[in-house]
This record gives sequence, structure tokens and C-alpha cells, in this order.
Amino acid sequence: MAIKRRNKRAVKLDDSIRTNQVSNNSIQFRVLNENQCERLYNAVLEVMENVGMQIHHKGAVELLRNAGCWVEDDGITVKIPSHVVKKAIASSPSRIVLSNRNKKRKLFLERNNAYFGPGPTLLNFIDVNTGERRPVVKNDVLNTAKVVDALPNIDFCMSLANISDCTSDLADVHEVHAMLQNTTKPIVTWAFDRDNLDTIIKMFEVVAGGEKELQMNPNVLIYSEPTTPFVHTYEAVDKLLYLAEKGLPQNYTPAVQAGATGPATRAGTVIVGAVDTLAGLVISQLKNPGAPFICGGVITNMDMKTTVMCYGSPEFAVMHAATVDLFKYLNIPTFSTAGCTDSCILDEQVGIDQAITIYTAALSGGNIIHDVGYMDGGMVGSLEALCMGDEIIGEVRSIMRGVRVDDEALGLDVIEKVGPGGHFLNEKHTMDNFRKEFWYPETIERSNYEDWKNSGSLTYRQKLNIRAKKILEEHQPQKLTDDIIEQLDILVEEAEKRCKK
Amino acid sequence: MSELYEQIAESVVNGMADEVENLVQKAINQGMKPKEIINNGLIVGMNEVGELFKNFEMFVPEVLISSQAMNKGMEIVKPLLKEGDVQKAGKAVFATARGDLHDIGKKLVIMMMESSGYEVIDLGVDVKPEEIIQAVKEHNPNIVGMSSMLTTTMPAMKETIELLKENDLYGNLKVMIGGAPVTEKYADEIDASYSNNASAAIELANRLISCMQAV
Repeated sequence: MAIKRRNKRAVKLDDSIRTNQVSNNSIQFRVLNENQCERLYNAVLEVMENVGMQIHHKGAVELLRNAGCWVEDDGITVKIPSHVVKKAIASSPSRIVLSNRNKKRKLFLERNNAYFGPGPTLLNFIDVNTGERRPVVKNDVLNTAKVVDALPNIDFCMSLANISDCTSDLADVHEVHAMLQNTTKPIVTWAFDRDNLDTIIKMFEVVAGGEKELQMNPNVLIYSEPTTPFVHTYEAVDKLLYLAEKGLPQNYTPAVQAGATGPATRAGTVIVGAVDTLAGLVISQLKNPGAPFICGGVITNMDMKTTVMCYGSPEFAVMHAATVDLFKYLNIPTFSTAGCTDSCILDEQVGIDQAITIYTAALSGGNIIHDVGYMDGGMVGSLEALCMGDEIIGEVRSIMRGVRVDDEALGLDVIEKVGPGGHFLNEKHTMDNFRKEFWYPETIERSNYEDWKNSGSLTYRQKLNIRAKKILEEHQPQKLTDDIIEQLDILVEEAEKRCKK
Repeated sequence: MSELYEQIAESVVNGMADEVENLVQKAINQGMKPKEIINNGLIVGMNEVGELFKNFEMFVPEVLISSQAMNKGMEIVKPLLKEGDVQKAGKAVFATARGDLHDIGKKLVIMMMESSGYEVIDLGVDVKPEEIIQAVKEHNPNIVGMSSMLTTTMPAMKETIELLKENDLYGNLKVMIGGAPVTEKYADEIDASYSNNASAAIELANRLISCMQAV
């Protein structure tokens, strides 16, 4: 019997000749060009060398002194010569990979890869069941982690909280305790001080199965902050040194407000933010060359009418993009901010602010983009706002992919086959491509009037609420083993005992 | 036995034409009745597809691929069927109203109706009322379907219905209409039935047919 071989998988090589073709695989966007980046970077170096900074940590000051920095007589004010900064940037890794809880490498913080997630340390929460604004509790963090775990476009978890219903000095520890058990996605989190940070890292090590295991496949990134402009508290620097020593990824995040803690210009504000975050990078590299470090922050303006720190201004969007351009020029992974708003309730303004900040952040390609679901200028969190952000990120990601131009995408064969007056609905080409070329929303309305009316005339807000509640009811995050949960409980108990002393 | 029917239904839902073909052949070889292969396998799968589409869990191209897969199975079974084994869901004559060349919505409805077992005769676009009357006389359908995309072509649908009445044809069939400017209210005014999307159109057609059978 003659066997006829039909290898359906064999795709023929495209033998048409096209030379020197360059395609855009995504949308192109840049705020600062090479020359502007260089000018800003030199300005940053000048501030570090000439203005200097206050470092309230003796150990760090000694590290800097030994590296050739100038320490003034107060033992706090340090000026960092340019060569020290350059050396630190050179030893800092250009890429960091965050894994999920199962050690699968997920977030490649390099080039323009943009990943989104919520933010930290909000004091209030909008109750998903009652709509009431109230102090945030541990159960909200549990719910946030669960929703993050389920949402397709949210890449990492943050707590959206500084919880109120526990020993107040251990809010950070309790939040990690809740997040680690309710999501496998990488966790970005914060700590009050070195002791709490140590407990938190031990919790991650328990889950990873050891110190080295966590270093090799970290599912944690620690977020800490200098006090802009140019002040570095003992706690902030102490945490920074701890993490550098551990070789675990951290981001050191100034929150600059143009006109208040930064100059009333966009470039000047970007410079102040960059000086603060780079000071952290220098200290980390002096402690442990090669320690993973992420630069960036919350770069915004103070509203001169209300004095709030803006979380949804157009300058917020463009200054973050400029900051990302600058750190990309320096080949350092970047931290950025988007998906947040100054609106106090879930309304149209949330949609406007989220859409504009997310779109700009995605265009600029910051690596870790946080604060999705933030409202009221960083005072209140909302699961509905988080779900809205997820939808907008999905939409924006589809735009980022641009327009594919190749033989299949040009579709000449199918266009010819269908011809005038025909239709493409029934074509294999349609079936093969409609899902990969077009994005489909979960909550965005696309029904016609009758269908919308018949399905309950729901507003967008109501649909977000339904989605959040549905996830909470139905989604089952992968569980940790009882043994690991017990070890996490013990670590929390030990921290409680330490605090009671 | 029933497991094979389930597999057939599943292959229809997944739009796997080759798989449907193989499974249906296997069922025939095992001596299963053609009528049961259709009713317990192919149709069960297609009904599930309709349900999934209605709930936004399946997309139009996937529905059409499933219907192609079902038809692959039907082709094998059909020659083995006895008279009266399978009844068409109904017969329909469809047209885009006079003066109107927009027909993507109508095409979609026709494909969905065919997937649901209807025989549909499509008269095309810009069809005059007289031509529709002619086709009704010739094909004797249960349903006349008309679509219009422009407010200016809607009156042609009204004219057609009046002509059906004049020719004593209106009593033997049901008229369904659709299109962007068409409303439930307009349909009521001209003695037609209205649906606002493709899957609603299938439900409407099924309802109209069962009304007629009840009479």
C-alpha cells in the first residue's frame, strides 16, 4: 500500500524578495530624544555632585565616603561625584525577571515591556457590597489579591491597603500574609522597617523553599520611598541595604510634586525624582554590586488650587513617560504609575484619568506600572476601579500591537475569493485571525439598545460591581499547602510577639 | 452508544469538521440509526452552539465553523435517511428591500437560520415587492424575511406586506423584518415581526413557526 504523506503543518518559506524591510511591530512613542535624555542625565549628575542629599544612615554614609563621595561635617549631607553614579549604573542589572509563586518566570522587566498592577498603602476602601467608604481591612487585601489573580490584564499584585484592623505596626506583614495565600502572581509590597521587612522576606522564602530559591526566582519586589527632595530616612536606607545584601529586587520610589517638592517645570521635576531614585541605586550597588534595582517613581504636580497631589493630571502622564525615557537611556528597569485618579467616587472621571494615564504609560513602556485602582489621589482603593483598569489595559494592549503587515494579514487571497458584494464571516481566514487581531471586552458595552435594555439596563459602574463580586464568589486561587500556611502563621505570630515587647 | 453521540456533539461545538465526519461514519458502521445520529448528536451540538452564542461565549465565525462541521456530518447521513426522518425547521424567503444594497446583517441571519435547520432562499439585494410575491408563489415558504438599512427603503417592506395581503398570501406565512433603522413599533405598524439581532432572529423564526403549527 502506498502511503500518501500529508503534512499539514509544513508552512512554505515565503520566497518573495524584499530587501531592507523594517516594520513597526508596535505603536511608536517617545517624549525625550537621545539628546534630551543626555542633557537631563547630565543635569541629574550635576545635582548629585553639587547639591547632594541628606542620608540619615551612618552605615550608608560610610559606604558612600569610602567610594569617594564627599561627606560634610554634619555626617549626613553627602555629595556624589559623577564617576560614582556612573559606576553604580554600570554594575546595576539592565534586566530583572519576576516569577510567579510557582517559579514560572513571568515579568521580564527589560526594554519596553509594560506590566500593570495595583498600588500600596491606601487608608480607605470602597466596600464592594455597600458602596460605603470606610477604613481598609485585611479582608480587603485578601479580596484584592483574589481579583488580581483572576483579572487577565493585571500582571502583579499590590495590597491597595495600609490595613487598619491589625496591630498597626504590622499592617505590612499582615498584607503579605493575605496576598501570598490568594494569588500566584508576583507581589510588589512595602514594609515599615527592617524588622518587618525581614519577616516579610522570610514569608516569601518559606513559600519559595529557601533563600537561594527566592533569589533565583523572586516573586517579590519591595517598594520603598525616599523623602523628596533629597532626604533619605534611616528606615528607607536600612531596608534598601537589607535588600541589596539579599540580592532581591527593589524599587526606590520618590513621589515628586512639581511646584512643591520639585520645581514648577516638567524637566526639573523629572530631574529631582531621578536624583532621589538614583541615590538609592548608588547605595545598593555600593553594598552589593549587581543587586537588582528598579528606578522611577510617582512624578506629578501639586494642584495649586486644592493642594492635592495629582494622580490624574496630563503632566502626571507625560512626566512619567519622560522619566521612563531617561531610565531606558540609562538601561535600568523602570517603575511607573498609571490607572489612578483624583476622583473621590467611581464616576466618569475615573474612566478619563485611568484611560489617559494607562495609555501613556503603556506607550512609554515603563516596566512595573503601579497604582491601578487608586482613587481620591491615593486615599482610597476600589475593586471596581481595579476591574475598570483591567479592561482599559486590555484595550490599550491591543492598540500597542499596531498593525501587522505580512502576507497573511494583507489577506489578498481571501479578499479575491470573497469579491464584490460577498462577505468574510464564513471564511477560514476570518476564523484563523479574528481572535488574535481583535480584542474582546468583559464589561465594555457593545450590545444594541434592545439587548442592553433586556439584560437589565445596567450602567458601566453596575457592571464593574457585578464583575468584581462575581470574581470574589467564583474565583478559586491556587492554594498553598497547609504546612506552608502554618509556617506563615507562625512568622506573623512571632512578629506580633516582637511588637508587644 | 450515547458516548459516541456526545463526542459528535462536542466535535460540532468545537467546529472540528474532520472529527465530526469520522465519528458519524463510526456511528453508521456501528449500526446506529441515521435519524438518531442527527437528533442525538449533530443537533444537540448545534443547539449548544446557539446557547453559547447567545451568552456571548461563542463568536460568529466559530458558530459558522460549527455549522460547517455539522453539515459535514449531515452529508454522510443524508443519503441513508428515510422519507420523513428529518423535517426542515422551516422554509424562508429572504430579501433586502428595494433600493437597498446593504445586506451583511441579512447574510448573517440567513447563515444562522441555515445552521438551525432552515431552508432559506435568498433573493439578494434591491428586491422589488413584486419579485418577492413571485418568489413566495413559487417556493411557498413559512417565513418571509426582509431587511432594510435606510429609512428611505423601509416603506418597500410595508408595500410588500400589502401586496402579500392583496394576493391572499399573507395568511399562510409570517413576515419578519430587521435592520438598523427598523424598530419593534414599525414592525407592529406594518403587521410584521421584529428581532434586533441574529440570534434573536432565530428565536423569532422558531416562535413564528410554532405559532403556525399550533393554529
